[in-house]
Amino acid sequence: MSAMDNVEKVGPGEDPDPVIEAYKKNVDVTLIRENLRLTVDQRFQQLMKLQQFAEDLRHAGRKARER
Amino acid sequence: MTDFNALLRLLTESSVEFIIVGGAAATAHGSARLTLDLDVVYKRTTDNITRVVDALKPIKPYLRGAPPGLPFDWSVPTIQKGLNFTLITTLGALDLLGEIVGGGGYEQLLSDTIEVEIAGVNCLCLNLERLIVVKRAAGRPKDLEVVAELEEIMNETQQYRDESS
Repeated sequence: MSAMDNVEKVGPGEDPDPVIEAYKKNVDVTLIRENLRLTVDQRFQQLMKLQQFAEDLRHAGRKARER
Repeated sequence: MTDFNALLRLLTESSVEFIIVGGAAATAHGSARLTLDLDVVYKRTTDNITRVVDALKPIKPYLRGAPPGLPFDWSVPTIQKGLNFTLITTLGALDLLGEIVGGGGYEQLLSDTIEVEIAGVNCLCLNLERLIVVKRAAGRPKDLEVVAELEEIMNETQQYRDESS
């Protein structure tokens, strides 16, 4: 089956999905506003810093469990 | 860790025709969510597949999650026989997609892209409206969470435009 067989006809903003509407309550709009002030390039630099932070946390967790 | 900058520079400087989709596209539009891999839809012509193979060969692409030592042959015939490849490389995780659910292939997506500058190179990225459509079509809980955020981004962008005009 081709992915084209599943092409979604509903566009953004149409047919509000109750699940999506429920998820919106958890979206931190302040973070979005901060990101929208950045350039696309700056958003990617921030993503990579976040990745490094997540990796550091995982590493720290592993070390703590080994003790 | 995935070095998004280096992967995008490598693909662009090798003249690979591709479109950024998935979580990286969401980041480009302002998403605050963490994504660990770069998803791109590549053009399925022989010339472009050849460029993909040549560009990625130095960063040793291998099937992500597959046991080590499989006879995975990174070559034009391999890519032509397959469609979507989830890869691990020396620069990180790269999903090389021939088609995506809700979007189709490169040609179908091309009219719904914007050009973005990342790490000094210009790349095509799926636009926000189409990204919402494909994420809705994917339909997994994590995709719907992303849709919720993307729709909020669209609202915020619209409000900003309204205030500016």
